[in-house]
Amino acid sequence: MSVLELKNIIKNYPDGENVNEVLKDISFQVKKGEFAAIMGPSGAGKSTLLTIMGALLSPSSGTVLLNNQDISHFSKNQQIQLRLNEIGFIFQNSDLIPYLKISEQLQFIQKISDKKPTDAIAILKQLGLGHRLNSYPNALSGGEKQRVAIARAFINQPDLILADEPTASLDSKRGREVVQIIQETVHQQNKAAVMVTHDERILDLVDSIWQIEDGKLKKVNK
Amino acid sequence: MYLTLRELRHDKWKFSALGLIIFLIVFLVLFITGLANGLANDSGSAIKDTPAETFVLQKGSQARLNRSKLTEQDWQNFQNKYHNDVTKLSVAQMTIQKQNNASKKTDIAYFVINQDSFLAPKSIKKTDSNQVYVSRKLESDGYKVGDSFKDSNSGKTFKIAGFTNTESYSHSPVIYLNNRQAKNILPDSNSFNAIAVKKNLTKKSGYQVISKQTLINNIPGYSAEQSSLYLMIGFLYLISLFVLAVFFYIINLQKISDFGTLKALGTKTGYLVRHILTEMGLLSVSGILVSFLVTYLIKLKMPASMPFSLSLTTLLGTGLLFLIIALLSALLSLIKVVKIDPINAIGGNN
Repeated sequence: MSVLELKNIIKNYPDGENVNEVLKDISFQVKKGEFAAIMGPSGAGKSTLLTIMGALLSPSSGTVLLNNQDISHFSKNQQIQLRLNEIGFIFQNSDLIPYLKISEQLQFIQKISDKKPTDAIAILKQLGLGHRLNSYPNALSGGEKQRVAIARAFINQPDLILADEPTASLDSKRGREVVQIIQETVHQQNKAAVMVTHDERILDLVDSIWQIEDGKLKKVNK
Repeated sequence: MYLTLRELRHDKWKFSALGLIIFLIVFLVLFITGLANGLANDSGSAIKDTPAETFVLQKGSQARLNRSKLTEQDWQNFQNKYHNDVTKLSVAQMTIQKQNNASKKTDIAYFVINQDSFLAPKSIKKTDSNQVYVSRKLESDGYKVGDSFKDSNSGKTFKIAGFTNTESYSHSPVIYLNNRQAKNILPDSNSFNAIAVKKNLTKKSGYQVISKQTLINNIPGYSAEQSSLYLMIGFLYLISLFVLAVFFYIINLQKISDFGTLKALGTKTGYLVRHILTEMGLLSVSGILVSFLVTYLIKLKMPASMPFSLSLTTLLGTGLLFLIIALLSALLSLIKVVKIDPINAIGGNN
């Protein structure tokens, strides 16, 4: 069963007097327990596609189905609720909140959500961050930060995980470790995950690969 | 609140500095307000603290007591109509000295009143012919109850029967005389300056009828002092509005990417608005409370020569006004935060 399905997505931006078509008739799907990667050069529309998947942006036309619910015309408030409860984000630079301790990064999400809280400390310990619970982000290494970001993405038990170039600020060894953690968690917890990347060395860890070029997306055979 | 407290804890130095600025500004506002009130009291408390509401002066006296001269005929006109609600008042600014020390003179204001009238301070009792009640302000010039002093002009001596409150007129302590005592030192004791009325009169043809506040405003020096001090206070409010707005805006500007991330993670804009207002509110309230404390301590230590007066109402009012100013100054930051697009969190733009 598809967790996320995109049908004929088009996204236009006004560009002076012209219209810039960033996404051209894109269709895509990812199932439970599937870890998908979207590859492509910069400027191909990767980020725009991810913002539409993440209910940060509405498409110009087309349908976005999250758990078979059409979210493409959700209001801002509905989008916020969706991002909080149904989607987990992992950003490029981990983007932890600098004034929250590691355990608080997760507790804050639990605080603003109506979902029943899970054991945040256990999740952090599982990711090898047990000794970092009371540290601030600036004391952590890049790899540790990204692991906290992964924990934060999973804390609210979302069905969909979206990762925006999670390895971009890491060396290849640590980058691989981080993607490995995402892969394991996705499989263990039977979640759907989409990762935007241009790092080809980690493609062996994903289940499906998509290629985006000039606003067109096609599936690549593994 | 969750974010606010943790942010204040993490960036304690940065926020302490902002709190310090708030404290300094509020303290300066309170201090100048206290001085303005103190000077106002020093200038007009002898008039302000009476139950009189209206004063009747000679026509054309420009609301100045010393330019007004009323006669017995005028007095009869009013007394027949208002009976005990009116009383005569004469004010004369003179100099006194200690009996055997001509080199140390003190400027005072004689208030010639009827001791049974409503203008007499409550502490005044019937006295012998040369005993007078004087304002407690004279204490700082070394006068004590039982001391004698000499009117420098006439040479007549009086004995201090007791102190009233710190009544003051045009920065001089007030000495209360009755008509009989005044005859000896004032040249023209048949006329007087004004009729004080315990009622609210507006007009009487042939006279200048003014409110108590108008009379006080026209005490020499009063308006000049008050308007310059209040101009300073007004500017302080304006300056603090801008200074705090800029400081707070810059502090929040540094956190724009955090706000974008928080929004992307599903934090409502309303939550972030509350976060900013709580942060500014907490900082202001602590700055204001500390300035209350410091103002109180300063008030205890102020010398009598620097009149300082701050009522609880003025104190709390200033604090409240400042809290509003501080929250207004957060407005600029709020607009910025409301406008942040969570999309910025994607694509490594942060």
